[in-house]
Amino acid sequence: MPVRTPHFPDLLFGPAARLRKWEGALIGLFEAHGYRELHPSLVLRESLPDGALRFFDGDELVALRWDFTVALAGLLARGFPTPPARVAYAGAVFRRPVQPWEAVERFEVGCERIQPEGESSAEADLELARLLMAIPGVLGLKSAILHLGHAALVRRPLEAEGLFGDLADAVVAALSRRAPHRVKEALDGHPSAGRLTAHAEALLSELDGPTTLDALQASPYAELLRDERDHMDRALKALLPILPPNLELRVDLADVAGLGFYTGPTLRLWAPGAQQELAAGGRYDRLFPGLGRPWQAAGFCVRLSRLLDLAETRPDLFEQAQ
Amino acid sequence: MTHRTLLIAFPKGRLGDELVPKLAGTPLALDAEALKSRVLRIPTATPGVAALLLKGADLPRYVAAGVAQLGIVGSDTLDEMDMDLLELADLGFGACRLSLCAQEGVTLEALRAKPHLRLATKFPKATESWLSREGLTAELVPLSSSAELAPLLGLADAIVDLVQTGGTLKAHGLVETFVLGRSSARLVAARGAYLSEPARIRPLADLLLGALKARA
Repeated sequence: MPVRTPHFPDLLFGPAARLRKWEGALIGLFEAHGYRELHPSLVLRESLPDGALRFFDGDELVALRWDFTVALAGLLARGFPTPPARVAYAGAVFRRPVQPWEAVERFEVGCERIQPEGESSAEADLELARLLMAIPGVLGLKSAILHLGHAALVRRPLEAEGLFGDLADAVVAALSRRAPHRVKEALDGHPSAGRLTAHAEALLSELDGPTTLDALQASPYAELLRDERDHMDRALKALLPILPPNLELRVDLADVAGLGFYTGPTLRLWAPGAQQELAAGGRYDRLFPGLGRPWQAAGFCVRLSRLLDLAETRPDLFEQAQ
Repeated sequence: MTHRTLLIAFPKGRLGDELVPKLAGTPLALDAEALKSRVLRIPTATPGVAALLLKGADLPRYVAAGVAQLGIVGSDTLDEMDMDLLELADLGFGACRLSLCAQEGVTLEALRAKPHLRLATKFPKATESWLSREGLTAELVPLSSSAELAPLLGLADAIVDLVQTGGTLKAHGLVETFVLGRSSARLVAARGAYLSEPARIRPLADLLLGALKARA
């Protein structure tokens, strides 16, 4: 399915109504589970990345909000001595597109679960997964797929082998392409080449239900990753019995998107035939300590712009004519 | 064509010339009559699966956008374009080298010593990456074909191009002075199609790999 979006899309009557309806329904869902909305400013003034839409406000370089998680983290770290446990957000972010079909202005709704460091995060991870499982129903998707991953499945073996920088990036890029032969090429001559190639083959061997976790046994790092495997196993046991109809749960051991940011379990929501994930998130425990706050956090974001595209190009994926 | 029709993007040109005979007699053999015509969407021997014939440089874009669910393309093109797609297998055939080539008698050291080196290439990204690794700077002359002419006619000091047998180089009095990398055909997949509909795409990828292995 080709997706072509103007870089600065105007929303006409149908999509505008759909956006309003979906934003309201999702914020309503989050509020019903104790999440309170925060609205960080549209204009950000610190650590402006290259991809942001930057401009001068007088003598000061500022940027349009490019990411809700970063904007919220700044707001919370500045203004809250103790973290609110649950926050939600809705609105637009502005980023220069990586892919030609992406828009600069993107509408998102999301939520975050924040805790002091040291508290067990397992229940918070499950709470977020359960919330994400409810979202296809709220949006009227006929069916959806939830991918469970874990950032540590790739990061910990790389760290154990002392691989950082360009070489680690090359391995991650190869895994992102799901190309174990590229892992082998990237590590040609490195002492860890055999082990990490075997690990990549194990991670990429299956993309299926709970039995996918068994593929980890074939990895040379199976013992190193025992805690992560057990964590995913417990999550699957908790989530499978409450899986809504028309939602499929899959384990994606090779999910490396956002590996520099995520530190633990990851979640991605797809619709069958959609070219892009419709929601994504996970645990990112290094964000707040980097801002001087001893807090851990996880969350996910629903990409409403992609859903609006999907409603236009694939209305057959939704329950009612969108 | 509906959403249910699966499309595989096949390359035209050198790789395609190697690929099409390999598929003859397999479930993914291309319709011989359609191949003789100018049609660029060709039925295969498997109902519901069709092939698109595309230029190598366009092919990754069709797959990355999800128009074609699978494709076969050279790794040189993949590296040059860096599109967001999955690379499921190294198919092994279409092997060639990405090489720095100059007129006979011109050495790598002579090229390194040039204060203003000019390199003509269809592969600016790979060339820039090599120059950066070597700590060299050069003026890149972008070309889309017949790069072998550039050193002969003074457009550039040398070229960075794909070399398979070396026959074209020899015909133009050029020799390989350095191998920058190697390339071969790769099976690629649309990220969205593969991750959101693995039950449709993986069997097709397996069918294609099986067909190519059977003829290997």
